[in-house]
Amino acid sequence: MTLTLDRMRADVARAIHMDPSDIRDDDHLGDLGLDSLRLMRLVLAWEEAGLTANFSLFAEYETLGDWWTHIVAPDADA
Amino acid sequence: MPDTRPLTEAQEGLWYAQALDPANPILNTGQYLDLRGPVDPDALRLALTRTLAETEALRLRFRQGPHGPEQWLDPAPITPSVVNATGPEALAMMRADSGRALDLARDPAAAFTIFILPDRVLVYERIHHLAIDGYGMVLLTNRIGEHYSAIVTGGPAPLPFPPLDRAHEEDAAYRASDKREADAAWWRDWLRDLPEVTGPAIGTAVSARHFLRESRWLDGNLLARLAAFADAHDLNWPDVLTGLAGAYLARWTGGCAVIGVPFMARMGRRIARLPCMAMNVLPQRIALDEDAPVSDCLAALARDMAQARRHGLYRSEQLRRDLGLVGGARRLYGPLVNVQPFDRAPRFAGLQVDLHILGAGAVDDLTLTFRGDPQAGLLFEVDANPNLYSPQDVAGHAARLPDFIAAALVAATLAQVPTASRAEIAAAAAVNATDHPVPDTTLVALIEAQMAATPDAPAVTFGNATISFADLNRRSAALSAHLATLGAGPGRIVAVALDRSLDLPVVLLAILRAGAAYLPLDPDHPPERIARILAMAQPVAVVTQPDLAGLFPSDAPLLTEWPATGTPPTGPAPGDMAYVIYTSGSTGEPKGVVIDHRAIVNRLLWMRDHYGIDASDRILQKTPATFDVSVWEFFLPMIAGAELVMAPPGAHRDPSAIAALIRRHAITTLHFVPSMLSAFLAAPASDGIALRRVFCSGEELTADQRARFHRRIRAELHNLYGPTEAAVDVSFWPAGPDDASNPLPIGWPVWNTSLHVLDDRMRPVPPGLAGHLYLGGVQLARGYLGRDDLTAQRFVIGPDGARLYATGDLARRRHDGAVVYLGRSDHQVKIRGLRIELGEIEAAIMASGLVRECVVLAREDRAGDRRLVAYLVPSDAWAEGLLARHLSATLPAYMLPGAEVLLDALPVTANGKLDRKALPAPKVSVAGRDAETDAERLLARLYAEVLHLPQVPGTQADFFALGGDSLSAVRLILRIEEETGRDPGLGTIFEHPVLGHLAAALGTARQDDGLNPLILLADGDPAAAPLFLIHPAGGIAWGYRHLARLIAPARRVWGIQHPGLDLTVPLPGSLDDLARDYAARIAAVADGPVHLAGWSVGGILAQATAIELAALGRRAGLVAALDSYPADVWRDEPEPDPVAALRALLAIAGHDPDAHRDLDTRPKVVAFLRAGDTALGALPEPVLDGVVRAVTDTNRLVRGHHHRRWTGTLTHIRAGLDHQDRDLRAAMWRPHAAWIEELSVPFLHPAMTSIEASALIAPMLAARMDQAAAKGSASGRDPAMVSM
Repeated sequence: MTLTLDRMRADVARAIHMDPSDIRDDDHLGDLGLDSLRLMRLVLAWEEAGLTANFSLFAEYETLGDWWTHIVAPDADA
Repeated sequence: MPDTRPLTEAQEGLWYAQALDPANPILNTGQYLDLRGPVDPDALRLALTRTLAETEALRLRFRQGPHGPEQWLDPAPITPSVVNATGPEALAMMRADSGRALDLARDPAAAFTIFILPDRVLVYERIHHLAIDGYGMVLLTNRIGEHYSAIVTGGPAPLPFPPLDRAHEEDAAYRASDKREADAAWWRDWLRDLPEVTGPAIGTAVSARHFLRESRWLDGNLLARLAAFADAHDLNWPDVLTGLAGAYLARWTGGCAVIGVPFMARMGRRIARLPCMAMNVLPQRIALDEDAPVSDCLAALARDMAQARRHGLYRSEQLRRDLGLVGGARRLYGPLVNVQPFDRAPRFAGLQVDLHILGAGAVDDLTLTFRGDPQAGLLFEVDANPNLYSPQDVAGHAARLPDFIAAALVAATLAQVPTASRAEIAAAAAVNATDHPVPDTTLVALIEAQMAATPDAPAVTFGNATISFADLNRRSAALSAHLATLGAGPGRIVAVALDRSLDLPVVLLAILRAGAAYLPLDPDHPPERIARILAMAQPVAVVTQPDLAGLFPSDAPLLTEWPATGTPPTGPAPGDMAYVIYTSGSTGEPKGVVIDHRAIVNRLLWMRDHYGIDASDRILQKTPATFDVSVWEFFLPMIAGAELVMAPPGAHRDPSAIAALIRRHAITTLHFVPSMLSAFLAAPASDGIALRRVFCSGEELTADQRARFHRRIRAELHNLYGPTEAAVDVSFWPAGPDDASNPLPIGWPVWNTSLHVLDDRMRPVPPGLAGHLYLGGVQLARGYLGRDDLTAQRFVIGPDGARLYATGDLARRRHDGAVVYLGRSDHQVKIRGLRIELGEIEAAIMASGLVRECVVLAREDRAGDRRLVAYLVPSDAWAEGLLARHLSATLPAYMLPGAEVLLDALPVTANGKLDRKALPAPKVSVAGRDAETDAERLLARLYAEVLHLPQVPGTQADFFALGGDSLSAVRLILRIEEETGRDPGLGTIFEHPVLGHLAAALGTARQDDGLNPLILLADGDPAAAPLFLIHPAGGIAWGYRHLARLIAPARRVWGIQHPGLDLTVPLPGSLDDLARDYAARIAAVADGPVHLAGWSVGGILAQATAIELAALGRRAGLVAALDSYPADVWRDEPEPDPVAALRALLAIAGHDPDAHRDLDTRPKVVAFLRAGDTALGALPEPVLDGVVRAVTDTNRLVRGHHHRRWTGTLTHIRAGLDHQDRDLRAAMWRPHAAWIEELSVPFLHPAMTSIEASALIAPMLAARMDQAAAKGSASGRDPAMVSM
């Protein structure tokens, strides 16, 4: 499992043309401009990195922190 | 009792949509999977069963509860059926199931079937939209595949769906949040100044019960181009697709569009992977800068759409209510553009799977859907409302939009991309391939050849006189020789002002033979206009008759006599001008159109050959020479050897005279302007006419006129079109009895002529889309005489380099290539056949000094009722009624605005242009009259109750304008049902939100047969003095409905009907008794001053009623008699017996009794009337008895009546075309009124209440009523006293 919170932050930042340091764990990513299509591309890339959770699950949450806590960390433990 | 919950906001909109039309199955969303390969049937059934078990939404049931719609979960699980079938059987069963509307309280919302086919397996899914949306369907369908894959591979089961409770929690949280308020505010601000939303098609965008579909896979090149474009410009490809589809749709609605963009409304919400109904539709305004780089304008649109999505939880149904767009035809968005990147076939381990969408919900207008993505493939579907689009329209969009997108992706700007596809541009060119060899000659050469060929044949007939071609040759030669001595020759002009006569065609031909162009002048035109034209044209001579000499300036070179013999000069060349016809210009300055011989020769030879005109034809000449239709009437017979029959002066306005001419001279060919054709068809004299062919042009020929024509007349009917600027006509359409087209096309180009429909940027438009009509080819005029500036404006260079004439007409092509005329694109309008320059009216208004700014529109706020409305920004000098008085002194009656609307400023668009769409309809008065019938009173009470109004509304109150919404509409329905025991259906309220209309629709109104003594003919401003129109002899006032509608809504217009129509009411003792009764009835419904008018006997009654009103201390302003003559005239006439009275009914119904002498018994008269289309024919028997009684009795009263003197003005409007056999004049009233105002209109007595006559009479009456008000308020005195 190579997926880390920082990699996710960097990927999101690139997708929405922001600096990673400007995206905090509790920022509402939809408000920052992340739409469903960009999210789907991100999740596809993360699946290649070994993640098994699907896109819909990501869509249930709106912050990086929630993704990590509710999806990626439990997925890594599984 | 089940555990019920209210609907979520997302569901409510769909509930009301379904409640509007409970039997409509369109909200059944359905699809099926096509599974190929080694399907494991047990695993499939298990996968489906597991999926259905974990999807709670499938068990939802719905009903109307006491506090609104509610839902609950049915405990019984949904189980799939398994059916063995063939492919076609399976499809038929799916369609039958999807096509059945559900009873939402009793039927499960979902059904699933596994169809086992011989070679594969289909999985059918059908779920009502209330339970699930498109993305929910994707989740559910993918889940079947996940379960199947897990079962057959032994993998782990997928994570179960969350509970449906989450949908309610999310809904409740949003409803209670501050964000909802903030979103509402954002949208209201974002959609400020939303234009009136329309779609590409005209009509009401309410989903039908099925839809039309064309679908196709987008080709690989397009997908690659799309992906590359999106990457290169860092745009999401769905935004690019939405933007370009929007750009395409905007082309159909004048460059701007508001589209609906479905939004899944799930991102970042805990319902993201919950099958439920959550989607919303976001209105997106499309107004792209077509001159900017394509990527720039799409990037700007993508930013807008991203912003809108952030506020996308706010329901569009709520937004519609917020913006007052509920009910009627008011819309929030037009077509939908739906890009569904997630909607792909699900994965089933070991199987090949295709997904087929059967239906995805309502199709109000047009839904353009793209499913899939550029990598996996994109399926493009056009779904369309069959009430708005034909299958050809749908196929057109499906083929054209991919072309448009492909072109736009490589274009520098959208401006470079035509809306028409390459195939459509080629098809139009094929229609325009009209090359036909025509000799390069002149009209003179053709006619001289004919005169030499058949010297003894009759050439011209006028009355009893006929001249042969030899006579014509000799006489025209003599005059041409004389004209040549005066300087006439090629390039010169000779004017003609003659009444129709034997001389007129001789003179025209003589001018042509002299080599000059003729310039027709209308002796009826004002001398000032004639002088202006002569100054511009500088003719070498004006050929006229001695009695018209006074029309011309003293220095005009008049010619009234010439020698009887002479030898004609050489004559013209094909490129020399043949005639100059002046048309009305937009500035008021007439423009002289110059047509050369080559152009008119093409037109005449085309007509001769196309219709097979030959020496056996007799062609009627009845069109004034100043109208270019006359050109073929004069010269087609001369080149075909046919006989030219000249109608007497004035006959062209008289249907009976025309019919007599046709019969007397065995006419084979003639022309009608369509409105005159209508009058001709309505005249008794036209019955049974037979001839070879009738041509129509000059106005739109309607399908109704075509049908009436073929019912009555045996002849071919042809529709021709063309402006003066292109040698009479450039297109033709055979309007035979089998032609069902509606609208009736102007059709196909004539020889060597092309028709082009182009948009504002002169790009070709596809079939179905309106554009500007341009003409090309040999028939184009040389230009405007002496006006190179105007010539350059209208004669332009087209896209392919050819010279084109910009007609100023709007048109579209049909799918077969025929052209349909749609109206004028500039400010010239036609009202009842009369061409009106709005600019001329505006100039007259400005000249009054009463206003600072103004604009005049021809509005059609009620179907079929087109009228002029003046929008005014008043100056300090303005006062009520002054403008109408000023205008009636300067403009002809048909150009007077029917309504004035005062504004603080004229509305302008963002770029400073006048915003015509923002000009309001003239107000009738918001509330209207008080409720009167039981149904109206009931509705008034219920409107007030349901909408919490402080007071009961009037009959014009609009339920939705008063704050009603879908929910309160349902409450209103329940209350109506409680009160009346009848459920009128929610749709009725949407269809008739206006109280009075709804009352009528409920049918619970007191049975009103329309025969009460007082009937409101047209509602209007209650503050203005009402007009009372008194019945003619028949006692019925319905005939005034045209007049009433043209006068309202400036004031109310009442009809007064004879009380004796009711057989139980005793007859009055005298006409004065009757007038006294009317005065009392008038005084009871009107407080202030009133106006009176009546036609025929009605005028006698109006005069008497005015006197009776005065006795009550009430003032009558206008007292008008429409072709009425005093009782003294009738006293000695025999009283009609009952049969004569019945026959008088014929006259009342608009027929000529003398033409129907065979109708001598009551059954015959009644049968005749019933066969016609008049209101009288529809009367029940007892009422007809009442009418007969009224006719008989009124005649008796008139004979016994002795007029008292009316101390005011009597306005008399004479039927100017009538009274040939008896000299009836307004002056006969002189002993009976202080002052007689004498007016006249060109109609026969029976036609005085026709729509055409009403169009002239209404402004006459309106202006006088306005003046009476102005005088009344200025002096406080009775206007009748002023004029004593």
